[in-house]
Amino acid sequence: MAETPGLRLAPGPHVHAGQTTRAIMWWVTLSLLPAYLWATYLFGVRVLGLTASGVVGAYLGEWLVNRLRQQRQTLRDGSAVLTGVLLVGTLSPGLPLWMPAIGGFMGIVFAKMLFGGLGYNIFNPALVARAFLMACFPLAMTTTWLAPRPGVWWAADAVTTASPLTVLKLEGVARAAELLGLGPAYYGQLLLGFRAGSIGEVSVVLVALGAAVLLRRRILSVYIPLSVLVGTGLVALASDVPLFHLLTGGLWFGAFYMATDYVTAPLLPRAQIIFGLGIGALTGIIRIWGGYPEGICYAILLWNAVTPALNQWFRPKRVAPEAIGV
Amino acid sequence: MSTHEAGISGELRRFLRGGVSLEEHKEATAQTPITTFIPAEVTIPLAQHLGPPAQAIVKRKQVVQRGELIATAEPNGAPVHASVTGTVARVALSPHPTLTEAPAIVITVDPNAAAPQCTDDPAWATLPRDVMLARIEAAGIVGLGGAAFPTYRKLRLPDGVRVDTVVLNGAECEPYLTSDHRLMLESPKDVLRGAWLLAQIIGAQRVVIGVEDNKSDAAVVLQAAVEQLSLSPAPDVLLCRTRYPQGAERQLVEALTGRRIPARGLPLQVGVLVQNVATAIACYQAVRYQQPLLDRVLTVTGPGIGHPMNLRVPIGTLVQDIVAHCGGLDARTAMVIAGGPMMGRALGRLDVPVIKGTGGLLFLRVDDVQREPYGPCISCAACLDACPLGLEPNQISIYTEAGRALETESFGTRECFECGCCAYVCPAERPLVQFIQIAKAAFQTGSAIGLGVRPGVVHG
Repeated sequence: MAETPGLRLAPGPHVHAGQTTRAIMWWVTLSLLPAYLWATYLFGVRVLGLTASGVVGAYLGEWLVNRLRQQRQTLRDGSAVLTGVLLVGTLSPGLPLWMPAIGGFMGIVFAKMLFGGLGYNIFNPALVARAFLMACFPLAMTTTWLAPRPGVWWAADAVTTASPLTVLKLEGVARAAELLGLGPAYYGQLLLGFRAGSIGEVSVVLVALGAAVLLRRRILSVYIPLSVLVGTGLVALASDVPLFHLLTGGLWFGAFYMATDYVTAPLLPRAQIIFGLGIGALTGIIRIWGGYPEGICYAILLWNAVTPALNQWFRPKRVAPEAIGV
Repeated sequence: MSTHEAGISGELRRFLRGGVSLEEHKEATAQTPITTFIPAEVTIPLAQHLGPPAQAIVKRKQVVQRGELIATAEPNGAPVHASVTGTVARVALSPHPTLTEAPAIVITVDPNAAAPQCTDDPAWATLPRDVMLARIEAAGIVGLGGAAFPTYRKLRLPDGVRVDTVVLNGAECEPYLTSDHRLMLESPKDVLRGAWLLAQIIGAQRVVIGVEDNKSDAAVVLQAAVEQLSLSPAPDVLLCRTRYPQGAERQLVEALTGRRIPARGLPLQVGVLVQNVATAIACYQAVRYQQPLLDRVLTVTGPGIGHPMNLRVPIGTLVQDIVAHCGGLDARTAMVIAGGPMMGRALGRLDVPVIKGTGGLLFLRVDDVQREPYGPCISCAACLDACPLGLEPNQISIYTEAGRALETESFGTRECFECGCCAYVCPAERPLVQFIQIAKAAFQTGSAIGLGVRPGVVHG
């Protein structure tokens, strides 16, 4: 008898859990929506423009490299969009609109595609993009924080201000306390997000909300983010304002969205805890004793370089014992 | 009656590590009693077990009785019997579910034949061990859990090996399949007698039956039968957590006895013998009634088949006849799988017979098996969490993809028993089991077979 037409042959398993790379990328992107909408509410619609710019740059970078290498386009996996969105989360809202596009493009091309594309990069592409912009446009990157003006969607006369961490670094603790009023009311504002800061980081609560969605969907696990927070907290005890360090800057955004990037973070919980503590501690050290007001970006990038070694040192433990005398 | 009332004691047994929680899909047939279907013709392959194929001893046009020996066993093989009464139509190469094509004896069923008499040996329980073993060997029984290893070979322990525990596998952890579940519900006493018998043969002092807690009704029925039969030693009925691959030998032994089988080793090394419940019934029938293994109980199920059911069919029944009996195929049926969805094997054609090791027939539609082309590993570690052995499927796949399969030994390639948990959870939908199979093949041949793909390129 003839072969029955149309029957598909494939190796097992023949069923799948359903969580795909693309779904993960889009869930992470979507989980950022509350934080980014909040930033839009505070700083105006230019936030959306910057986000679009970052995505376009990242997208173009990936498309171009695939094109030049004559490879199948990989844009459908959603990772380029996520890189663009994440990059913008680390940027100040007053930047020129074209700048995230440059960053996104360079991050994707140099940190991701030249390493072989998704899964093969060593450094977090969004953070490489930020570091690149920092090196090229230091003035714009550090002086374009906007004072929050809730509900003012469109302002030609946006007022720049200093970020809380910049105030601390430049003015010292005593003066910062005077200027910002480091009391419970101020910490409450930091938590909720009424403050100047990068687009993704301003509201700790909303970053945590997005992360909670990802934790619930088992896209994230808590090992890395919690140990980052603990690491920074421990080092910050050496400063006079540990709580201030825990609630400002990109700590939460970095801990939950940057340090947790699958590709550039270690595989196993024990390695992830060391990785997280290392990032957290380094962040605190840079902030308190280093030259920059904020340190999470470089802390993560440096620890990205340690990831392959951590994966070598920490391997899964076999269940089956080795045979003895049988 | 709850499992508690039935006296099933203790907490749920579980294996140590990994595994996945699967959608069960057992509801379609879990409540459906086993019915019998006899086709007009059967195709009985000579190769249905691990080991050399049997040698045919019948000729065309010869009339054979159900239960008659039609092919004798080669050393380390298993004999084959006529599963129906009828006339041999031909002895020829025929389509085979796993071997593509293999010699088979085709018998046209005589619909008017009387059911053959079976002899009941009243002294069955007190027979010497070697007589019991000889009857199991003569019955052509192989492991019915899927591996199809001749059972008498498993029961003939190597010198110096002592086995104190028989573990009976009633886990049936593959989704969709319910035939073992139904056997436990419908013939609990035969299951228990079979298990007891196996313990007698190998001199084990303990019998443990592991049932997943999604089949607690079967555990209750078995426990009630334990109390009625008063066998010595009395089998322990233990509930296991429903989690794939609970029914794999290593995981079951670990969950029920706490013993850990050495890497690449056998349960024998920790004093345990594992048998499937259907095999236990077959052994009981072979010893008591001297009845060969003639029928296969299997679940015919999945969204692609008209009427899902649990069927008892003569060995050699063609899949296409079963399809017709079960209400035909859905037009969107895209895959037919012999076995369960995790470890079952896709069939390319429907004119292949059910053999001794066929545990089920699963019919899936296009929507059920729709897949994206696979992508690069994103180091999410989901496979590391899922692997019940603590192996590294991610690394094996990456190395194999790069043509470096020979370097994967340290990631556990040889230990893998291909349960498929890793590939089930992989978000990049990488065919991790297949990569591991390729790596194993590379060890066999000593040459690293590269797939010739560039990293990052998706390919179907």
